[in-house]
Amino acid sequence: MANPRVYEVMYIADPATDSDTLEQLNKEIGELIEKEGGSVVKFEDMGRRQLAYRIDKFNEGHYCLFEIEGSGSEIAELERRMRVNDKIVRYLTVRVDEERKAAEKIEEKRRKRKEKLHALTGGSSDGEDSKRYDDEEE
Amino acid sequence: MATKEVIEKNKDEDSDSRSDSSGSRRPARRQNFRRYNRRRQRQSVPAYVDWKDVEFLERFIPERGKIMPRRISGVSAKDQRRVARAIKRARVMALIPYVSD
Repeated sequence: MANPRVYEVMYIADPATDSDTLEQLNKEIGELIEKEGGSVVKFEDMGRRQLAYRIDKFNEGHYCLFEIEGSGSEIAELERRMRVNDKIVRYLTVRVDEERKAAEKIEEKRRKRKEKLHALTGGSSDGEDSKRYDDEEE
Repeated sequence: MATKEVIEKNKDEDSDSRSDSSGSRRPARRQNFRRYNRRRQRQSVPAYVDWKDVEFLERFIPERGKIMPRRISGVSAKDQRRVARAIKRARVMALIPYVSD
């Protein structure tokens, strides 16, 4: 396995579950991943959050986020477990390694362009592309 | 060779029609083009668009909850696709509404 795949797995749990159960659940997920040959790179408990819309009569949910490195087979197993677990209202897995690589490429390209601009203008102006999105609101 | 001649011929016709109707600048068949009108200055988007970054994604979501079109958001086509994908992911996890009234 030359390049391990990196996934972000987020799930929403029933807000009524107590913290002990949740902790147990997260521990189980960690163990499962280890057993299947992956590793948990990052874990974040995002806490209770208002849902943007009702899911299965819940208006709130407990969000947890994992970052998992592995081959992909552990993700399949994890998803199977999450599907049957009735504490978990919803989950989503996103593969992020390729997107991160793409982001690096973009960053590289931007840096190069900036350098070129810098050389052309003699460093007097930053150029317009330093303009951020937050500037104006219509 | 033959195609070149056709092109030459078309060109002639074009210039003819233009001189005929001195009022309009372009031949009639061109008038269906909608002019692209960017409402905002070109905007840049971070290299990695995070689907969990609700605060950022909400800038692309007007009241109705729809994804802001590119002509209004002012980001490049490539960036718009990345933003749209992130918004769709965030919607699945109920971070952002599908519709809001």
